Amino acid sequence: MTRLARTSGWPGIALAGGIFVACLLVSLAFGPVSLSLGEVWRFVTTGPVQGDLPNAIFWQIRLPRVLLACLVGAELAVAGVILQDLFLNPLTDPYVTGVSSGAALGATIGIVLHLSNLPWMAVLALIGGFATLGVVWMAARRRGRIDIFVLLLAGVTISYLASAVVTVLMIRANQDMHAIVYWLMGSFSGRGWQEVEIALVAVPFMIAPLFFAREMDILLQGEKRALELGVEVERTKRILLVTAGVLTAIAVSVSGIIGFVGLVVPHIVRLLVGPGHRSLLPVSLLVGASLMGVADLLSRTVIAPNEIPVGVVTTFVGAPLFVYLLRRGRKG
Amino acid sequence: MSTTRQRRGFAAVIIPAALALLVLGAVAVTGCGSDSSSGGGASPAASASSGPITVTDGSGQTVTLKQPATRIVSLAPANTEIAYAVGAGDKMVAGTSYDDYPAAAKSLPKIGDFANPNVEKIASFNPDLVLAAGGIQAGLRSKLEKLGMQVYVVDPKTYDGVMTEIANVGQLAGSTEQAQQVADTMQKAKDDVQAKVASLSRPATFLEIYSKPLMTAGGDTFIDDMITLAGGSNLGATAGSGFPTFSTEVLFKNDPDVYIADSGSMSEPGDISKRAGFADLTAVKDGHVYVIADNIIARPGPRLAEGLQELVKMIHPEASSAQ
Repeated sequence: MTRLARTSGWPGIALAGGIFVACLLVSLAFGPVSLSLGEVWRFVTTGPVQGDLPNAIFWQIRLPRVLLACLVGAELAVAGVILQDLFLNPLTDPYVTGVSSGAALGATIGIVLHLSNLPWMAVLALIGGFATLGVVWMAARRRGRIDIFVLLLAGVTISYLASAVVTVLMIRANQDMHAIVYWLMGSFSGRGWQEVEIALVAVPFMIAPLFFAREMDILLQGEKRALELGVEVERTKRILLVTAGVLTAIAVSVSGIIGFVGLVVPHIVRLLVGPGHRSLLPVSLLVGASLMGVADLLSRTVIAPNEIPVGVVTTFVGAPLFVYLLRRGRKG
Repeated sequence: MSTTRQRRGFAAVIIPAALALLVLGAVAVTGCGSDSSSGGGASPAASASSGPITVTDGSGQTVTLKQPATRIVSLAPANTEIAYAVGAGDKMVAGTSYDDYPAAAKSLPKIGDFANPNVEKIASFNPDLVLAAGGIQAGLRSKLEKLGMQVYVVDPKTYDGVMTEIANVGQLAGSTEQAQQVADTMQKAKDDVQAKVASLSRPATFLEIYSKPLMTAGGDTFIDDMITLAGGSNLGATAGSGFPTFSTEVLFKNDPDVYIADSGSMSEPGDISKRAGFADLTAVKDGHVYVIADNIIARPGPRLAEGLQELVKMIHPEASSAQ
């Protein structure tokens, strides 16, 4: 199957697309108030109606939440692919560049300044994420080129610095501790269309890496080899790093810090379709969206009316799947 | 490789630490969330004027003082309020940095914040009575007792439990009479409210503790008890115990008649009617959306009487206007 998928990406992409559509429909249909597919269709076609409670549940609560989960899952998965392959390090995930810690710091400042009920939270998280990326970037720049090794170390260091500041803020502003803790845990609860709009900004950044699939394939063989083969290595790295940074910052700004998806989805997809980016990127995008959609579905239904933090569910769903695929991959 | 492992420090270190702090914080604000069985049992002890005083605290343990306490350290804002209310304010030697009521409590020396009470600091005041809270502070008890301090744990689960705790603290502080007056005031508020709502229907009431994620007060909390006393039916009781998260969809499905959001140190509810979809909720359409200060509803102290009266105005406005 792997060889087949590597020669032609389309079957894999189509299959992943089918799985995604199925996950999307299941996520929209199930919940504390379950709907049949016919009802889902009816709500979608009638559009939002004022004064109709089931309609409000669908349009104002469930639909934006499902879309947001899928968008964030896709963003983290694509960022994970980019960063793992740029750093040539299988343990890399979207949080390694320090962007997420910076975003967490921005959000924490927002909470401490009591801006938590405004889009300010997302804006501050984005500013925090981008500022961190900027600092890491400057640290890693040597004579016009980005030293990936220094970037990794600088990212880790900045992560520590930002999380130390978050801790200090948490202790100083202990009245706001709950808000900060819940934000750091990551959740899609209470998110609405405003957050979806912010997450949608990332769509071009999810698509952009597809245009660099060939360069990314070659970069897997090392920068030197890529230069020999005529790849504009520095330009490609710059674009991809900024893309991954933007994706991570946007994802974190609307959902908090949700682990595992960005780390493991790229690995799962590599085991299924191989390392070629023409398949790896779009399939990861779709699998990330599907996994996060299903994880959020479980998080809001399994122990309803209570909710399980979605990060816990992504791990519970993803870890067994990953271990299974690793074992299967080794046998094959 | 090691760099990646270090990087995980953010998620791996911050989040568990933060969770631990969160648990502490929940106790700080509400004084609730312990696993102990019930509110303090009333044990009418020997008269406070002479001989040892023995009471049973909120964790079910017996606390005996040879004579009324003269140097009291409080480890929770609610305990500080209780101490001042029973007239033991002049015996208070230290409180927490959360203490904000009464005003005099603000200028007390601090033993640290509620989440991290500093044992050395507590000991340095040489207290003869430490008023601790339940939950995670219960682990503090043995440490303090090893240092020779007497610890009373305030951990009520009901409105009546709060009255019992106040009476007990009053006994320990040698001000039984004033404590009884405080308890009587609370009892009177309860009786008044009960008389008002006795014959009325019980509107489904949702009490929001926190909005993102949505959290409510579960069935074993004194907040649930107060909603019931005020003639409401607590929707949060269906979600379990303590302060559980609550699905927004289930909230919509149950469509409560009254929506009350707790506001203050831990939560800013904002404009509830402007939240996505909320305009279609019955409580919003009928104008039964309220914000209540968490100090008078989530802090197990004498001001719960005020909280109860506020709650009845929100849950049964018709009963209040009839007066």
